[in-house]
Order: sequence, then structure tokens, then C-alpha cells
Amino acid sequence: MFLSLAWRNIWRNPRRTAVILAAVVIGVWCMVFLGALMRGMMVEMVDNGIATLTGHLQIHRKGYQSDPVIENSMRDPGPASKALQDSLPAGSHWTARVRVNAVANNARHNAGVTLVGIDPACEAKVSFIGHAVAQGQYLKPDDDYGIVVGQALLEKFETKLGHKLILMSQDTGRQIASRAFRIRGVFHAQQRATEKQFVFVTKAAAQDMLKLGSGISELSALLPEAASPQKAADRLRGELPGAYEVLTWPQLLPLIKLYLGMMDSFVVIWYVVVFVAMGFGIVNTTLMAVFERIREYGLLKSLGLKPWGIIKGVMAESFFLLLIGAALGNALGLATVWALSYHGIDLSALAQGAEFFGMGRVIYPEAHIKDILTANLVVFILGLVVCLYPAVKAARFTPVEALAHT
Amino acid sequence: MKAKALKSLCLVLVFSVACPALALAQDAESLVKAAFDYMRGKASVSTATMTIHRPDWQRSMTIRAWTLGQSDSIFYIVEPPKDSGNGTLKKGGEMWMYNPKVNRVINLPPSMMSQGWMGSDFSNNDLAKTDSLIKDYVHTLEGSETIDGKKVFHIKSMPKPRAPVVWGMQKLKIREDHIFLQEDYYDEDLQLVKSLTLLDIKPLGGRLYPAKWRMQKAGVKDEYTVVGYEKLEFKDSLPADLFTLSSLRNPRF
Amino acid sequence: MSIDLRMAWRNLWRNPRRTLLTMSAIAFACVLLVFMLSWQFGSYETMINTAVKVQTGHLHVEAADYQDRQDMRLVIKDPQAVTKMVQAAPGVEAYTVRANSFALVSSQERTYGILVVGIDPAREAKVSTLKSIVRQGSFLEPGDHEGALVGRLLAQNLQVKLGDELTVLGQGRDGSIAALVLKVRGIYSSGMDDFDRSSIQMGLQAFQDAFTMEGAAHQVVAICQSLEEVAGAKAYMAAHLPPQKDPGLTVLDWKQLMPGLLQGIEMDLVSGIIFYIILLVVVTFSILNTFLMSILERTHEFGVLMAMGAKPGRLGRLVVMESLAMNLLGVGAGMIMGALITWYFQVQGIDLGAQELMAQYGIVGRIYPRLSWLSLLSGPAVVFVMTLLAALYPTRRLWKLRPVEAMNYA
Repeated sequence: MFLSLAWRNIWRNPRRTAVILAAVVIGVWCMVFLGALMRGMMVEMVDNGIATLTGHLQIHRKGYQSDPVIENSMRDPGPASKALQDSLPAGSHWTARVRVNAVANNARHNAGVTLVGIDPACEAKVSFIGHAVAQGQYLKPDDDYGIVVGQALLEKFETKLGHKLILMSQDTGRQIASRAFRIRGVFHAQQRATEKQFVFVTKAAAQDMLKLGSGISELSALLPEAASPQKAADRLRGELPGAYEVLTWPQLLPLIKLYLGMMDSFVVIWYVVVFVAMGFGIVNTTLMAVFERIREYGLLKSLGLKPWGIIKGVMAESFFLLLIGAALGNALGLATVWALSYHGIDLSALAQGAEFFGMGRVIYPEAHIKDILTANLVVFILGLVVCLYPAVKAARFTPVEALAHT
Repeated sequence: MKAKALKSLCLVLVFSVACPALALAQDAESLVKAAFDYMRGKASVSTATMTIHRPDWQRSMTIRAWTLGQSDSIFYIVEPPKDSGNGTLKKGGEMWMYNPKVNRVINLPPSMMSQGWMGSDFSNNDLAKTDSLIKDYVHTLEGSETIDGKKVFHIKSMPKPRAPVVWGMQKLKIREDHIFLQEDYYDEDLQLVKSLTLLDIKPLGGRLYPAKWRMQKAGVKDEYTVVGYEKLEFKDSLPADLFTLSSLRNPRF
Repeated sequence: MSIDLRMAWRNLWRNPRRTLLTMSAIAFACVLLVFMLSWQFGSYETMINTAVKVQTGHLHVEAADYQDRQDMRLVIKDPQAVTKMVQAAPGVEAYTVRANSFALVSSQERTYGILVVGIDPAREAKVSTLKSIVRQGSFLEPGDHEGALVGRLLAQNLQVKLGDELTVLGQGRDGSIAALVLKVRGIYSSGMDDFDRSSIQMGLQAFQDAFTMEGAAHQVVAICQSLEEVAGAKAYMAAHLPPQKDPGLTVLDWKQLMPGLLQGIEMDLVSGIIFYIILLVVVTFSILNTFLMSILERTHEFGVLMAMGAKPGRLGRLVVMESLAMNLLGVGAGMIMGALITWYFQVQGIDLGAQELMAQYGIVGRIYPRLSWLSLLSGPAVVFVMTLLAALYPTRRLWKLRPVEAMNYA
């Protein structure tokens, strides 16, 4: 009974209801949308970090992480591969890489780069490079002289597809190894620094050039979405002898891990701030609605309605207001997210700035159930809490007071 | 019958077209090889002055050098006194530098190989890969001219597809008596990057030899490095232990 | 007029709850904007100062083109003349002189081509954080001719510990060979991987001797008392550069030295402003509602006043005055509270958590909001204007009122 009464009460003054609804809708909309935007930024940062040759976890020979030189490479990747095979959950992918510092040269330019020797097919399932080639083509498994470089490096070296790039590095015998590669493909990455840093050749080519035999620098694995990298790493550590080191992505990218935690709390703070801004409107409106109806409440009370009944009535009104507002706000927010999630928000104009913060050039907002639930919970719980004030006020009117009110 | 005749005619034609080219390539190949051997000798001992010229600045140093075979060499700076005793050993594809003041030998890392040697226009790679011209290129004769009554061959040298050289092409001018006159370095778009010009041909070390080598980057006028030979002596051999790290530490001049 | 004013004031307090709530909403928005803007400016200043203090400084005096070409020969021939001038520039807190050269640095095990920087230990400590980020061993003593500071990552790469020897082989300003042996005195960690991997620091005097600098240097680096002083100091320096030809001298500020940082700040500011606009819209709707209500509620009253001959214009003025009073009180209270809160945190600092990890990565774990006229006034000014507009909108109704109908309005 009181529900339908409350519903009708809301529409007694449609203009007032519309204005307060607008406030709630905008509030919820921006909570949902900005929450998704921040989430998108975070997910982007993490995905980008993981895809940029990190993976969910890595296995090295002990000592490689602190001193990544060729002497610290894994001579025989067999045991580590087997451990991955045995202990990773189904749906995982992994790949072996050779990774060394090298110098790239052409007739006019030279620069330090990271030479990455990859198994093209496995690598494509683990890191970004498999789908990042924008010009030319990705490496073929038997291509011993092909190299894939970043767009930024291509520009810096004033070179183009099909041209040569000479790479020099120290081989396992501490001799200078050099080899001529032909640029087969050009990749695009979220960050120009990545495009300048990494050059990709086949694993066999790198091993041959550096006299590594079947040695590698690292094994990098990508787990299925539900699996915990921590657990997988623990299992691997149990299986591998002490000569190996198993690291998970939060260990490999501690800064990103740190930012994640900070941004999580920022999102909640932001929700509360927006809520307070609209909370004032909600309280004020409800309060006025209550005062307008003092006589009514007085009458109801003198007819024997308990204060609790009045509180319930007022709360039900606010509840409906919040419900409609939140529903519209969520719908609007999700629609905005959906509209923007296809093309993303382009930050190219501020590319250097985005790069400074470790972000990509395009942000794709991403609506997560968790964020939307948090936003709605904040709105409903706090909304009802603040409405207690006018509700209690209404319940406290004595019939005499109320009837005396003009 | 007719078909067979046609076939053999074709073969003849193919040969008559291909053979001169082949012969020319071989000619060019042997020309370069002969010139390289002539210029370098089996072994040599020399004294030269290197002058680095910049628009606002110039500096000279005197260098004493020993070379053996196609790829080993060791040089010391003799003058100015401040730098005297600094040495560079080049063996195979590697280079080491020695400084007497700190008495240390440093192995040049890959990242330094494309830097200029002692700040000159000769890169460490130019010195380290002396034999690259023989090993890494295919040479073809492009033509010839006659200068001062001597025939000068123009040779185009294209790097072999897998050779680890940065250049897209080299053009050489070699005189009929095996003297290099010019070596031009091009990038892959066949734009000139730098040229080495060899001048002042006179008797030196018992043979005619260009006494002045000038390396200049393309497009910059007033920046070049000139090496002028003061003394040059060709030998049949030099002791192999001259080209070792311990020898580098004990300058003998 | 004064009677209107008094009426407005009395009307305001007829429904004190509503008035107080509306004022609170206005005040809340102001507090928030004052605080957040101060926070943002404060964090930029922290960011800039962190970045600036690790190495770059606020201002550089150096040879024209040195920044781009890093050529050893592009020197400041007479650093004394420049430091004298820099010292005299307004707002300069500290300065130091540096000389740089790319050289081969090798340990027993390994050799790398990196930047060798000659620093003046006493002055450097006042300009950069270098002294405070030495984690092992000690900073250079003045007059130490054979000590070197090495970044954590470079030390790892070179495989050196404190006390180990490093051989430096490079080329002097005159093209001669520069060679020296240094001892690792300290290992530092700035948190900026690039910096910790790519340079070593040694005494300026020893550097000048080894690299035949003949008293010349490459950079005079200055730190200003605050960011605001930078522009003034730059202008002064640019006007008073000592004459030097081939190469001429130039002054660069931190924006030219670190363009990425400026863009990063711009981006953060833009996203901040978007947040504020949304917040303001929400607040404005909240406020708009109360104003609308108060007019609707008083329809009867307005009807009576109009029947008594009050023109809509006068009523409008009355209503606007009411809202203006509310607005001013709210904004004023908000500014005072915002300033107080901001000031409190400006003194105390705000802890971002995870101090240890952050310090390891050179991020300042504590942010100090910075109250300025801009952060104090710009937010509240916008709130004031938005609230004023929100108050004006409902007054349009007054012109549509018919006294008789209005008096019958429930």
C-alpha cells in the first residue's frame, strides 16, 4: 500500500521530480562512465605491460633478472618447458625468447635496441607482436635473416621495408657478433618507446648469431583469464630446481601493480565525492517534499499511523527516485561506454604526455560489473542513509504542530 | 632438326652475352683483390699523421702502425706527447684500446664500433673491417677512363645479400697499377654518405703509393680527416706476437 | 533598496533548513574545488620538482645546440662569468656547474659506452637530489679527484661494488685522449631507470683535467625558489648572458628540457577539468532544484505581492538577491573551509601509501597540496556563476504569474 502511495507522491510535483532525477541521472552516469574510463586506463596499462613481452609469468635462469646478459641465459630450456607443460592450467600459452641488448646500424644511424629472438607462432599467442605488424609481414619460422622493427625506429633510421639493418651484440664467446637482417615488417605499439626499443628476429637466427646453441633468455607464459599467476608460479617453483627463477607479472612490473592499487581507491573516492554533490540535492528535495506535506503527515498521525510508517513512506519515495535515477543513469552511462568502446578516446594530441604516464595513445573505456555495482551501492546505501534525515523529521511532527503549519 | 639448331643458337647467344659479364665480374674481383693486396702488402710498418679538420677546430696526431695480413693491425699514437703511447689493437673483428696513463686495456663494445676512431671521420668499423671489401662484396667493372696516361677502372661493389655491412653500395676507382684512387660509400637508397680520396701518389716503401688519404662526409664541406704517410715500409712478415694484448700494453716505438 | 535587502535576508531564514542545505551544497562544491585544484597544482609541483631535482634543474645555461647535439666542444668557455650572472638572477635558489662527455667506462668484467658527468659536489647537493639518493657508500667529497658515483642499474651491469675501480676512456675537448681510473664511492638509485643505467658522476675538477676542458664546462644548472620564479629568472638570464661566440650561449627552462612532463601535466589538468565540470553540473542541478522549489512554494505569496502592485521585476530582484546572499555565503564559507583544509594538508602532506616501494621508484609518496590564488578563486568563481544562473532560471516564472491564479495556488 505505502509503495503505491509513495509512487504517486513522487509524481505530485513532476517538475521537482524531474530536476532531482536529472541530478541523480547525471551523477550515476558520470560514476559509471568515468569509472569505466579509469578502469579502461588501468586495464590498458596492465594489458599493455603484460603484452609487451612480460606475460603473466616468466622463468629465467637464476641471476638473469638482476643481470640480464647473455652469460646468464638458460643453456637448455628443456626442463623449464617441461615444467610449464606439466603444471600450467589448460588453455595457457608460453613461448621461449632470446633477449639481449644490441646495437642496430645502418649507413647513417645507429642506436641501442633490445634484440628479441622469438618463435613466431608461439610468440603470437603470448605477446603483442603477433598482431602488431602494420606494414609488411610478421616473421616466418624459417626466416633466418628477417627482422621486424617498430614504426618509431623505422623513422629514426630513415629506412623502409626491405632495407637492411645490421645488428651487433656480444656472443657467448664474448666476441662481437654482427648480422645483416632485412626489414620484413613494421610494428605499431601503444608507446613509441616500445617501438624504438624492440626489434624481433626468429629465435633460430638469434641463437645462431649469438652462438647460443639451443639456449634462451626467458620463458614467458600467458594464463587463461581465470587462473591465478601466483598459484601457477608456486606450482612451477615446486617443480623446478633452485637454478631457476619464476616471476609473476606484479613482480616484473611493480610500478603498474602500485598504480593499480592507487587507482582503485581513487575510483571509490570519486564515487563518494559525486554522491555527496548530488546528496545535497536529494536531501533538500525530500526535505521540502516533507515540509510541504506537514499537514498530511499530521493528519495521518492523528489517524493513528505509527512514526515508522511515515519513515517507510518517505524512504520509499526516495527509493523510487534513486531507482529511476540510477536506472536511467546506468543506461546512459553504459550507452556512452558502449559508444566509445569501439573507437576509444584518442589521446594522440597528448601522446608524449600519455607516454609519460605509461598510457597508450587510445583509451578504451571498459565497464566492469564490480565498478557498476560499487557505484550503485554507493548511490543506494548513502542515498537512503541521507534520506533518513527528512524521514525522521517527518515522523517527529506532532499532529498539533503539523496542523498549525500553514 | 630445326628445333635443335635453334636451341644451340640460343645457347651460343646466352653464352656470348653471359660470358663477358662473368669475365668482367671476375676481372673486377681480381682487380680489387690485387689492389687491396698491393695497398696493404703482406705486412707493413708505417708512420702517418692524422689531421682531423672541423670548421672551428683542427687537430693532428702522429701514428705508428704495424699491419699483418688482411686483418690484423696495431697502432700507437706517437705525437702529441700528451697522447703518446695510446694504442689500438685490431684482430679479427675485434678492437682493444690501451691507455698508458691508466695502464688499462679496454675491449671495444659493439655499441662503440660505429663511432669515429679518436674522433676522426674513420669509424672504428672502418678500421676493424678492413677486409670487408674483399669478403662482403660482389664487384663489377662499370667502365674506365684514362688519367695522366694511366687507365683508371670504375668498379661498382654491391654487398653480398647476407654480409653484415651497413652500406648499400661502394664505388671504387682503381688505377691500372693497383692503386686505389677513390672509395665512395653509399646508403641503401644509393645516396652518397662519405668518400675516401687517395692523393699524392709517389714512391713510398719501395712502390708507388698514395701518401694522402682523405675521408670526407657527404654534404658537409669543412669537415674531413686526412691521413698523410710519412714513412712506409713493406715487409714479408712480422712476428705474430706483435698483435697480442700483451704487446699492446708494451708500446715499442 | 534597503527594504528589499532586508526582505531578502528575512526570506532567506524563513526556511533555515533549506537555506543551510543549499548553502552547504555550494560550500561543498567550493571546498572540493579549492582542495582538488590545490592538490593538482601541488602534485604537479611535486612531479616537476622531483623530475627537475633528479637531474634537470629548472633552468640551464649552455651553448646553443648543446641540448640537441651533445657535442663535447659546445662549451661554456667561462663558467665563472655565467655563474656570477645566474647567482644574480632573481628567484634563483641554487646553481651548479656540470660538464659531460660520452666515454667508455669499464670494470674488470664489462665495458659500456655511457655519459660521464663532472659535478661540483658541494653545489650539486643543493641543486639535485643526487646526494640524498646515494643508497650505498657516500656522496663525493669536494676535492675528491678519483671518486665516482654510479647508478644502481649501471653498477649491476658493470658488476661493481663500492671501492671497485672503473676505467674511463674518452676524448677530451681538444680531441686528445682522456683516460682515468675512478673508484666507486657511492651507488645511487633515483627510481628513473634511464638515469640509473646511463651515467656516472665524478668531480668536476678531475673531469676538467682529464678531458682537457681548460676550465670550460657544458651546463650551468639552476634551481629556483619556486616554479613561479622560473619565467622571471629565465628572462633575466637571457638578457644578461655573458657574450660568447662560437658557440653562443642560451637559456633553457624545464619545459624545453623535458617536453614529455609538460604534456603529462596538461593531460592531467584536462582530465581534472572534465571531472570538475561533471561535478559542477551535478551540484548545479541540486541547487537549481532548491531555487525552483522555493519559488513554487511561494507562488501564493508572490500573487499577493503582485496584487498589491509589486512589479515582476522587483520580485525578480528580490528573489535574485535572496539567492545571491545564499550564494555568497555558501561560496564564502566554502572558500574559507577549503582554504583551511587545504592549508592543513599543505602542512601535513598526504600519504599515498606504499612509501617504500614508491621511494624505490623515486615517486614521492607524500603529496603536498599547494594553495594559490588561482586554486582558491577559480573553482569558487565558477560555482558562483553556475549558482547564479541556476537562481535566475526559476525567476522567469515570475513574469508568467497571474496574481489571481497565483493566490489560488495551493
